[in-house]
Amino acid sequence: MNATQLPFSKRMFRALLRVLPADFRSDYGREMEHAFDDQEREARDRSGAVGVVRVWWETLAGIFTTAPREHWEMLQQDVGYALRTMRKNLGFTCLAVLTLALGIGANTAIFSVVHGVLLRPLPYPQGQQLVFIRQQAQKEGIDDTGFSVHEIEDYRQQNQSLAGLVEYHAMSFILYGHGDPDRVRTAVVSANYFDLFGVNPLMGRTFLPDDDKLGSPPVLVLSYEYWKNKFGADPDIVGKTFEMNDKVHTVVGVLPPVPQYPVESDVYMPTSACPFRSSKSMIDNRDMRMVEAFGRLKPGVSLSQAGADLATVAGRLKAEYPKSYPDSMGYSAITTALRDELTHEARPTLLVLLAAAAFVLLIACANVANLTLARMGQRERELAVRSALGAGRSRLLRQLLTESFLLALFGGVLGLVAAYSSLSLLTEFALRLTPRAHEIRIDFGVLAFTLIAALGTSIVFGTISALFSRINLSSGLKEGSSGAGAGQHRNRVRSVLIVSQIAFSFMLLIGAGLMLRSLYKLQQVNPGFVTQHVLAMRTTFSFSKYGTNEQFAEIVKKLLDRVQSEPGVVSAAVSSGYPLEPEVISAGSNAFSGPFRIQGRDLGPGEAPPIGGQFSVSPGYLQTLGIPLKEGRNFTDTDTPKSELVVMINEAMKRQFWPNEDPVGKRVSGDNGEHWATIIGVVGDVREFGLNHAPSPEFFLPESQGANPSALLIKTAAEPGSIARQITRAIHEVDPQAAVTHAMTLEQARYESMASPRVTTTLLGLFAALALLIAASGIGGIMALTVSQRVREIGIRIALGAQPSGILKMILGHGLLLASIGLAIGVAGALSLKGLVKSLLFGVAPADPVTFAVVAIVLGGAALLASYVPARRAASIDPIDALRME
Amino acid sequence: MSRSRDAAEIPMQEPLTPAMFHVLLALADGEKHGYAILKEVARRTEGKVRLSAGTLYGIIKRLNAEDWIVESTKRPVAGLDDERRRYYRLTERGRRVAMNEARRLEELVAMARNKKLFSKPELA
Repeated sequence: MNATQLPFSKRMFRALLRVLPADFRSDYGREMEHAFDDQEREARDRSGAVGVVRVWWETLAGIFTTAPREHWEMLQQDVGYALRTMRKNLGFTCLAVLTLALGIGANTAIFSVVHGVLLRPLPYPQGQQLVFIRQQAQKEGIDDTGFSVHEIEDYRQQNQSLAGLVEYHAMSFILYGHGDPDRVRTAVVSANYFDLFGVNPLMGRTFLPDDDKLGSPPVLVLSYEYWKNKFGADPDIVGKTFEMNDKVHTVVGVLPPVPQYPVESDVYMPTSACPFRSSKSMIDNRDMRMVEAFGRLKPGVSLSQAGADLATVAGRLKAEYPKSYPDSMGYSAITTALRDELTHEARPTLLVLLAAAAFVLLIACANVANLTLARMGQRERELAVRSALGAGRSRLLRQLLTESFLLALFGGVLGLVAAYSSLSLLTEFALRLTPRAHEIRIDFGVLAFTLIAALGTSIVFGTISALFSRINLSSGLKEGSSGAGAGQHRNRVRSVLIVSQIAFSFMLLIGAGLMLRSLYKLQQVNPGFVTQHVLAMRTTFSFSKYGTNEQFAEIVKKLLDRVQSEPGVVSAAVSSGYPLEPEVISAGSNAFSGPFRIQGRDLGPGEAPPIGGQFSVSPGYLQTLGIPLKEGRNFTDTDTPKSELVVMINEAMKRQFWPNEDPVGKRVSGDNGEHWATIIGVVGDVREFGLNHAPSPEFFLPESQGANPSALLIKTAAEPGSIARQITRAIHEVDPQAAVTHAMTLEQARYESMASPRVTTTLLGLFAALALLIAASGIGGIMALTVSQRVREIGIRIALGAQPSGILKMILGHGLLLASIGLAIGVAGALSLKGLVKSLLFGVAPADPVTFAVVAIVLGGAALLASYVPARRAASIDPIDALRME
Repeated sequence: MSRSRDAAEIPMQEPLTPAMFHVLLALADGEKHGYAILKEVARRTEGKVRLSAGTLYGIIKRLNAEDWIVESTKRPVAGLDDERRRYYRLTERGRRVAMNEARRLEELVAMARNKKLFSKPELA
């Protein structure tokens, strides 16, 4: 036997004992050590090393079966005790649980959005391999030019990094054969589109390579929602036929309920079935760019490798077709992970909201810690008695932490309920930011987050209160509940908590204040048109029935005449889109822009043509929307398909291209000089693409000479919403096959266009209001406690001649001091977080002095108000009563 | 199954775990310290039941909490007394519990015998 073995084994045994609860150790630890020593010694004497190993093995097994049982028993005791304590202090319990529920609920709700939108992988097999490929004209500032059919083919053939590349574009067609003509959101996709995403049909099949061949019988795949909502989930839908674009289309399959990117579609068709995509001019012209591209990375290929690969292809195409890719445009191909592409707009808003929710939770934590500390004062005696009866310090700590955790757990459950009930509202909000909003739900990840939040919360505020109990345990019996030294220490801790609450509240209020100012500025923006009393609806005529410009001009004239004859209609117009229309905003200005040439201004070698937006409108457009004509003339009925081509421009275009001359009479071409149109007028600027988008140069073409417009705009004498049905009837009298959808007043469109900042502001405002309420009640609480602890001192002061006003000032001064320190820290914090909110603001600087000043006054005022009640109480203390109390 | 008058005072007694019963048995003939209990159990069962320090003190805590055993104030005579140790003894209540358990086991054995599950009666 080696003498050094014994202490080592003893050390090992002592270490092993630490898995047992501290109370158990202090009761039996020493004895266990002795018994183990004896057992080990005897085993060694009798059987040598084998015996020792056996004793160790049995001891290990014994301790590891005893420890969980002991811990569990203790937990049951602690929980039982905690529940009894909580029931006894129902007021405190409710307040703490409610505060925590608000904090945890806010976090759970926002986290469920963040988790569904930003964190969760795309719900497709190996979703991380899916990429969005974008062709850019960087030098022209065009983020996404789209691809032409030729380009899709080239990139598909020449890339080395993708396992597949598919095309996509969205169209609106009219589906006949099921009740009223239905304008369906149609996705036109490559045959292998669903294979690339890894989506298998719920019924029937998806597309086959043959479906993509020109001239093959048109087929459709329905989205799950469309099949369910429009066809009542008809199990026999596969094989049914519908008329679309003058052709009979057969439904070959139904998709499962999967999120659809980049937008929700009702039906899918192969490229061969789309009359635009399969037209000769589209297929033959490398410069006709109208489709988007998705790809799937080959296994093992990184995003940057794919990016480099596709950039190589872009370079090769540029060298091969210099005319299609002029240097001045800066053409390139960019590859982004599909997940990032779908969520980049939502990210800043969601992160701001998550930070705000975290602040609310921190404030709630500080407040509950403060409440707990206040209660500790009352519980000191109880804890000291338990300590004197043999409960060790760790036992008491454990007890306090159990209480904290139970409070947080109840708060968490309540918060979860609150989060769950706000989910549909949040989903609707997030839908304005990302198509992934449909994936928001409370799942295991969110539940785990809530549990961790509750656990973390209980550790934060439980530790603060337990830490305090540690300092004070011994003094409890001696000093009673108003122990001076411990009391002072406790007040310091509480003051720090109050200061931090004020600082965090300030930052939240600044966030909410900035958003509010930004929203106000946005509302003040002059959109350039009159939104009142205008009804808009999408009215789509079968393009095969009215294929030529003449046919279309004729039906439009009939339509407008008919609509204008309706009672209550002041004027009517058609256009290719209307300002602030949700579809126009989401498509963005690129979708309406194209290059043009100005007669007499030749392009230098490699110089790119200028870019301008194009809208096709009828003569009544300006009057209906109240857009001022600044120069020249408006379109008239004499501007026909056969008359001279004419255009109007907006002031932004005049400023950019004819700053010092009259543009009226100048000529421009949208087809590289093949046809020239004369500028006949200049109209006021309109914010088509969002109130926060500065007007860009735009053309207006007469509807008779431009693309077929489908937006019908009606200026009404009374409230426009009420006559939608009447107008629909009138349209169907003109053409029963016209699809009428998306009826909306322009006021609604304007309101909708601000929905995202408005909801962000509302949520931030809600969080900030919560924070203000919690912080104010916190500061009021600590002031009241300070006063009750200082009753005697204040009584003596008054007895010695202090004026009540002086006492009032003293207490208010204390409150203000805490508030000022909190505000100072808050200002520094808010300034350091400038970058976070910057991207969400419109017309307001993140360090806006007005907002900072107003918030400081509001918060300071709230603190003063909260301190006033206890200060009044202090000032009215009767010195005789105060002295008698002791 | 009939219950004795003694048992009636200890309502709803669950069957004891073998280890608990062994500890009660070890204390039936006088107070002992922990290691002595371990040794006694091992000796009486010829090493078939071996308790470890980890298991024993969990049992002692529970028996203590049930008031079936207590720490003994009576110490062995000087010279035999190990001052580091605590001695435990059976309480009256503990003795009755052990008796109940013994009776329960006895009745079980009788039932097994009736079912002719014993090939050699002398084993009982």
